[in-house]
Amino acid sequence: MKWLSLLTNEWIKIFSRVRTWIFLALPIIIIIGVAVYDKVTTDEAENNNWKQQLTQNINDDKKALEEARKNNDDDFYIEMLESNIKQNEYAIANDISPYETTAWQFMKDMAPISSLIGLFVIVVASDIVSSEFSKGTIKMLLIRPYSRWKILLSKFLATLGFAFVMWLAVIVASWLVGGLAYGFGGMDQVYLTFTEDQQVKERLIVEYVFLNIGLEFIELTVLVVLAFMISTLFMSNSIAIGVAMFTMFAGNIIVTLLATKDWVIYTLFANMDLSVLIDGQNQLIKDLTLPFSISVLAVYTALMLALTFIVFQKRDVKA
Amino acid sequence: MTTHTLELKNLSKKIKNKTIVDDLSFSVREGEIFGLLGPNGAGKTTTIRMIVGLISITDGDVFINGDNIRGNYEKAMERVGAIVENPQLYDYMSGYKNLMQYARIMPGVTQERIDEVIQLVDLEYAIHDKVKTYSLGMRQRLGVAQALLHKPNVLILDEPTNGLDPQGIYDLRNYLRLLANNGTSVVVSSHMLAEMQLMCDRVAIIQHGKLVRIDEISNQEEEADVKVHFQVEGDLLQAKKILAELNPELVIEDFGKEIIVQTADMKTIAELNKQLVLAGILVVGIQRKTKTLEERFLEMTKKGGDVSEVAVPVNE
Repeated sequence: MKWLSLLTNEWIKIFSRVRTWIFLALPIIIIIGVAVYDKVTTDEAENNNWKQQLTQNINDDKKALEEARKNNDDDFYIEMLESNIKQNEYAIANDISPYETTAWQFMKDMAPISSLIGLFVIVVASDIVSSEFSKGTIKMLLIRPYSRWKILLSKFLATLGFAFVMWLAVIVASWLVGGLAYGFGGMDQVYLTFTEDQQVKERLIVEYVFLNIGLEFIELTVLVVLAFMISTLFMSNSIAIGVAMFTMFAGNIIVTLLATKDWVIYTLFANMDLSVLIDGQNQLIKDLTLPFSISVLAVYTALMLALTFIVFQKRDVKA
Repeated sequence: MTTHTLELKNLSKKIKNKTIVDDLSFSVREGEIFGLLGPNGAGKTTTIRMIVGLISITDGDVFINGDNIRGNYEKAMERVGAIVENPQLYDYMSGYKNLMQYARIMPGVTQERIDEVIQLVDLEYAIHDKVKTYSLGMRQRLGVAQALLHKPNVLILDEPTNGLDPQGIYDLRNYLRLLANNGTSVVVSSHMLAEMQLMCDRVAIIQHGKLVRIDEISNQEEEADVKVHFQVEGDLLQAKKILAELNPELVIEDFGKEIIVQTADMKTIAELNKQLVLAGILVVGIQRKTKTLEERFLEMTKKGGDVSEVAVPVNE
């Protein structure tokens, strides 16, 4: 099928850029760096005394809690201290060390690196349409015997493919590096979280890791669609990068500001951080659930894609 | 019967109530080089962009090899090659990889064809270098190469000589002629009159988005366009008066040291010469001049100021 060659072309264009390889290498270097640093600096003896350490923590938290109650501090803070205490007491009682690192624990710890992937994917998605306009190469592409939507679709799928490769590379790298550094076992390792009625419960780390990497890919997809849309609408990669990064990083601030409004749960910002919903802890907005957030994102994604394709189809190219 | 490869029918483009292209119709024959000539802003590039589907059509139709681009764009564009303004290339890839981008998505481009085209535009020595190292002329040639890869039968070039040196223009002209002789229809746009006259078989003159007229370059010598210049010594006004009295049917003007008579008839020219000599006026030169495309163009578009590139009329 000739149409697939459009996709091949886009793929080649992405990987002909030096920056693409830097984007791929950087998270992997960071993962290796973290593992090496951790290995070098961690005192094994201290980890074996983890019960002592936790007892110390519990005492500190209790003091802080008393203080907070006296000063009528924020409920959120008080709740947080209470859950910390509960969690640590449960850990000591059930002999579950929070300091034991395995490949899976390492993957869980490496989860924040997804922001970095998000950033790089935004750069590529923002660039793939707008740079062809700014360089004028779009003319050479659009005069081919292909409908415009096919050309745009090939660009979209190529970006999504790049996001997938980044995502997969980080998963494989963190599992491999984690495994080599701490051993590949630990499938049965648990971590502590809370049930809805604030009881401590155990959960498999593996379960968390798999759920999380799945959700990360959903977040990445939404970011790709967002950056892609702005790149097409404004034909400017700086606006696209700016808006997408703003959504990714400043989203929480906006949600905090708007938290009292009922409609905030329907905004894109409020639903962009899916991984906090896995355990339902530290949520800014209590009403959100995973199925709800994913549905909202799906609606936004569909609308953004529709707008992108409609605008691209009709645009007069004067580049 | 002449086959038309490209047909424009009542093509119009309006942007915010401003008419850029106004009811434009013309047909391009198989194997001819067709020029779109007009001052800057006449609507040449807009027309070309509509033909290749870069901008939407407000009204009218474009047929390429019989297929309407509004209904059957993919089919219509299959045998079209084009460069709209400067060829824009991917700087971060080699010339070869750039060509491969287009080779991959066009039907029927073989490896032999790719090599052939590279050789044709004389880029073998630099084809694996990154395009960012290319000179403007090399970029133009690579642009031509990508437009020719799939052996189009309609080749559309917008301002193709921009940035080319005289040698490059000469080569391009010869090459386009070769393509046309092999049956390709070539459409070129330009505001450079002299160039169009050398390059094209027919030229459509466009002003304010409207078609003014279509000129055949080969048989442009129409009666009204031929003038005879008599260079005389002595009293110019006297000479003019004598001729005017003897030939009341002719249009006679004087300019500098010359008397200009509008006629193409050889016998009349000889008769006029005789009359002058008999009247005792020395004729030092007789010259037959055909109006150039340029003069006609300037006449038709009324104000010469639009065509900044050509300030001085070229004499033949």
